[in-house]
Amino acid sequence: MRLTLPTLSVLMLLTPVVAEDAIRPAESIQVTPSPLRLGGANRQRQVQVTARAADGTVFDVTHQATLTVVDRSHAVLDGTTVRGVADGQTRLQVQYAGRSVEVPIQVRNFNRFPPVHFLNDIMPILSKLGCNSGGCHGKQSGQNGFRLSIFGFDPRADYDALVKEARGRRVFQASPTGSLLVAKSTNRLAHGGGARTRVGSIDHELLSQWVSQGAPWGNDNSPQIASIQIEPARRQLGARAEQQLLVTATFSNGSTRDITSAAAYASNATLIADLEGAGRIHTGSVPGEAAIMVSYMGHVATARITVPREDRPKTFPLLPVHNRIDEFVWAKLKRMGILPSPIASDTVFLRRLHLDSLGTLPSPQAVRSFLADKRPDRRQHAIDAVLTRPEFSDYWAQKWADVLLVDRDDLGERGAFEFHRWLRQQLLTNRPYDEWARELLTATGNSGRYGPVNFFRAARTPVELTRSISQAFLGIRLDCAQCHHHPFEKWGQDDFYGMAGFFKGLQHKTLGPGRELVFHSGYQPTRIPLSERLAPTRPPGGQVITDFGETDPRVRLARWVTGPKNPYFARLVANRIWKHFLGRGLVEPEDDFRSTNPATNPALLDYLADQVVAGGFDLRAVMKQVLASRVYQLSSVPNETNQGDEQNYSHFLVKRLPAAVLMDAISEVTGSPEPFEGMPRGTRAIQLWDNRLPSYFLDTFGRSERRSPCECGSSTEPTMAQTLHLMNAPEIDAKIVAPGGRIDRLIIAGAPSRRIVEQLCFSALGRGPNPRELQAAERLFAGRTPRRAAEDFLWVLLNSYDFLFVH
Amino acid sequence: MMTSLTPSHSPDGINRRAMLTTGSLAGLGLAEVLWMQEAFARAKGKPVKDINCIFLFALGGMPHQDMWDLKPGAPSEVRGDFTPIATRTPGVQISDVLPGVATVTDKLSILRSMTHVDSDHGRGYHVMMTGKKPGAGDFNGNQNNNHHPCLGSMISHLGTPGELPPYVSVPNFLNSGGPSFLGASHGPFVIETDPAAPDFAVRDISLPTSVSTDRSARRQSVLRELNRFERQSEAVGRQVRSLDTFYKKAAGLMTSRKAKEAFDIHRESDKTRAEYGMTSVGQCCLLARRLVEAGCRFVAIENGHWDTHRKNTYSLRDLLCPSFDRAVPAMINDLDQRGLLDDTLVIISTEFGRTPKINQLAGRDHWPNVFSIAMAGGGVKGGQVIGASDKQAGTVADRPITPGDMAATVLNLMGIDHELILYTPLGRPVRLVENGRPINELT
Repeated sequence: MRLTLPTLSVLMLLTPVVAEDAIRPAESIQVTPSPLRLGGANRQRQVQVTARAADGTVFDVTHQATLTVVDRSHAVLDGTTVRGVADGQTRLQVQYAGRSVEVPIQVRNFNRFPPVHFLNDIMPILSKLGCNSGGCHGKQSGQNGFRLSIFGFDPRADYDALVKEARGRRVFQASPTGSLLVAKSTNRLAHGGGARTRVGSIDHELLSQWVSQGAPWGNDNSPQIASIQIEPARRQLGARAEQQLLVTATFSNGSTRDITSAAAYASNATLIADLEGAGRIHTGSVPGEAAIMVSYMGHVATARITVPREDRPKTFPLLPVHNRIDEFVWAKLKRMGILPSPIASDTVFLRRLHLDSLGTLPSPQAVRSFLADKRPDRRQHAIDAVLTRPEFSDYWAQKWADVLLVDRDDLGERGAFEFHRWLRQQLLTNRPYDEWARELLTATGNSGRYGPVNFFRAARTPVELTRSISQAFLGIRLDCAQCHHHPFEKWGQDDFYGMAGFFKGLQHKTLGPGRELVFHSGYQPTRIPLSERLAPTRPPGGQVITDFGETDPRVRLARWVTGPKNPYFARLVANRIWKHFLGRGLVEPEDDFRSTNPATNPALLDYLADQVVAGGFDLRAVMKQVLASRVYQLSSVPNETNQGDEQNYSHFLVKRLPAAVLMDAISEVTGSPEPFEGMPRGTRAIQLWDNRLPSYFLDTFGRSERRSPCECGSSTEPTMAQTLHLMNAPEIDAKIVAPGGRIDRLIIAGAPSRRIVEQLCFSALGRGPNPRELQAAERLFAGRTPRRAAEDFLWVLLNSYDFLFVH
Repeated sequence: MMTSLTPSHSPDGINRRAMLTTGSLAGLGLAEVLWMQEAFARAKGKPVKDINCIFLFALGGMPHQDMWDLKPGAPSEVRGDFTPIATRTPGVQISDVLPGVATVTDKLSILRSMTHVDSDHGRGYHVMMTGKKPGAGDFNGNQNNNHHPCLGSMISHLGTPGELPPYVSVPNFLNSGGPSFLGASHGPFVIETDPAAPDFAVRDISLPTSVSTDRSARRQSVLRELNRFERQSEAVGRQVRSLDTFYKKAAGLMTSRKAKEAFDIHRESDKTRAEYGMTSVGQCCLLARRLVEAGCRFVAIENGHWDTHRKNTYSLRDLLCPSFDRAVPAMINDLDQRGLLDDTLVIISTEFGRTPKINQLAGRDHWPNVFSIAMAGGGVKGGQVIGASDKQAGTVADRPITPGDMAATVLNLMGIDHELILYTPLGRPVRLVENGRPINELT
């Protein structure tokens, strides 16, 4: 039977067939592409076979179907790829589960191998085979004398390396197969990297053709790759299922080419979906979402694969909604078949709210009055009250100071102090984020008097500023593009040095010890190192700016960065807020936005970013929404369906108290404040502007070094030294037993043991003792003096997971 | 798993990429570590054996031509004031300022052709501590400045763990001795006090004075009970899990006499302590021996003040070498007598050597072009010299050895494939050692 439908070739056979074990029944099957056109630069095409089940679900059967080419003098099969042989027409027969389909194959102009183009044809092979990767010839010193630019950022140099170096042994027109390029890549000549491709493969054919054509550079006016497309771009798969992708490149003249076998693939979650061969995805038994990154010649695209839980509930319960945020999260959970945990208790919520918003434990009075509040919306009242407390500004100023590199070693005492004070002032007055960011990005003046200019002292050079600003305010990691094209993104050196152009001409004039005047002396063009090519000044992905007039170029950049249309600025801060409260960014790491690192819940991220912009960059208003959501208020105790889930906010993710917060909490609970050298009495750790103030505790528990523009400088990762310190440190023991401390006061007041236990639990855990704690207290108090028993009990509390974590 | 983007071949048949795909965050279980080591050992045709390492770093830059690689034939402004002496090993001469070391050359390999290009201290530390040349930046101020994990952190990440913290640093955090992208839990456990001090005690290892052992045991048993419930109810997070591991280890440390006593240098006899010398370097070496004996994998020792820009001869003869020359042979002999030397790799390293010509202040300045380090134990052949410098000890004359080669050697001796690829949190593949080949003559 011949089928000549122009677009799709769907065919239903009427005879039902009993499926074998591995064969899933299908109502119909469909083959893409159809017809299969080969010729010219299209030497081969990947086939994709999709089956449709009776219930309407579709599933990939590319590698299970039986494929046959009718006339093999025109085309042949190589696995699931159809390769041309000679001009003419034939058919591809596809059979699966008793269904069969035929697709016409048209081979035209096949024998005229088009001129091979180095950029379009050869460079992709060098990338795909890994020749130019950092472990092989791409590293700075090359490999065994043959050096390529890393990830092919400098095609000219690579061309020269292949064609002009090594006395012509690498490419030798008279003997393509004897050329080192061809012989080494197939390992016919011993190759340290082994066989990267095989004789007879399409890569081998192309490399040989290129050499026999005289290794041309190619016409610079040839069509360039404009974009790449993946089919399907989004698919829900079952556990242990497969999906063959089709990847197509579109050129500037509108022509297309199948690049499935030439593209490079990587999954961001290999347990959920992994790859074997070219674009063949298989899922594991772990439910979740994976992004499959496909890259080809600096172009990237992403396919998203969703694997729901296998035994997901047939009907999803109607869940209570506090606000829009919940709707987005529930929708995702429903798709994944995950049920959220119940809402957390009042005391757990209150402690969480205080620690997350203020870096401070709720006081026992705060806990008691909250519990006494019988209004139905008491949580909302508590949220409103917390966000206006002065500790809010302390805590968030410290957090921003980590990101913006307020490092005393770099800025000097005066600079660090002024910068921190300025940041705190912005938070205290709840100044719109875009406003203060704009002021910071254009700051000019004396670093000893005007805080924000110090930003241009921590990062001083155009290169450093490009890295810091793109990461801290845009969440794009341009670092890679300083030296080579970003391997997983569209960013290249033009983007990096385009942005650096805004800072060329920035001056630092010494005014005195540790004080500088920072100003911009006017626009100067920037060149890319090595190639010496001029990089037109523009924001990443933005328009080139040619005329700055008399203005400070930073003004234009700041306007672009903080503009309401900027796709990154609001999203990054929305994601920062989300990560801070929920423990995991919608994009993770929170400041690494890439199309290949998609958000786990894109609709929610869009919504939050919209809220940031719509609310005039009032970040407290957005925080209020997050805190009010039911999602934020869920219990941290998982249920059967969400136990393994750390991506979808189905339960609260516990997190260790950050260094400064933990230090303050210990001081608070023991009733023994920490003295800080050179700081006023009663200064709390979350108020410190000086990140270098000597403190074994803060160093050990991972305060930020403030060396890179991210929150990653601080760490809540446990270490052995932390554990030992909590257990044995004389400093902590001294706080527990301190005269005038909490225990001392309780004992002197003659408090009965029950009251001591209650007080300690309230201050450390934000709640009264539970039966297990009462039991523990009983063991400790039995037959011992109340003072010693109380000390033991407090020691146990300070070392307990209940205390050390936000639950 | 990432496929064709950055392929790695595995000539030894180990699929390295399959082992480590998510970098430091995933963390490795003991089973994986053991499996990996076995695979590596199989590939190398050697049995699995845990080698520990004592890494003594002469901070400031040891003058190679005055200690390890003398040039008696050079003009006096190059030759300096020291003269070569015969050693226990026929044909091998070292300086008369190291008579003690001369008695253990039969166990030492002296590497006289170390070379790199960083003549700045900070950058020199980095390349010698990690095997990798650092990127741009100033490396002098901030100690935890690693662009790449140091050897100790690599061992902490990949070595078989024991009862003790796997990587200990004494009496300081060594410059560039940080974990880089491997994360804080692979940083050193730093003993920030000098073991030569009379009241030396390791911070937080022993109980506060007001707490008796019984009382502590009671506290811990109550804590375990409380935490056990908590762990069951919500311990899904990675942090809780790893904190749990550290609690167990800390509790193990607290209760294991052997482990705890390892830190207690006062348990050594006065005679032994005197043999090592009652100096900082001497007692650090003794403590290091105690720690590796109890199962610590990597002990880094800082031995400072080798930056002899002035009065080089005086500094070496009167200040630096006497304690060094007492500590090093005492440690090597002690390890040997206790049967530990075969399983303990001793490295005496430094950031660079010093200028051939003596300067106007009678000192020598920085010189990375050629310099010497020494190794012993852990399978290293003794009684040999590898490589050579030229007549003025100014350039490599034979068999250049790079910091990468040194790092590859250390890892290989310790049973770790130096070409293993780890992934940074950004997803960037990074080889443990980028450009290095194990020094085969050593073993």
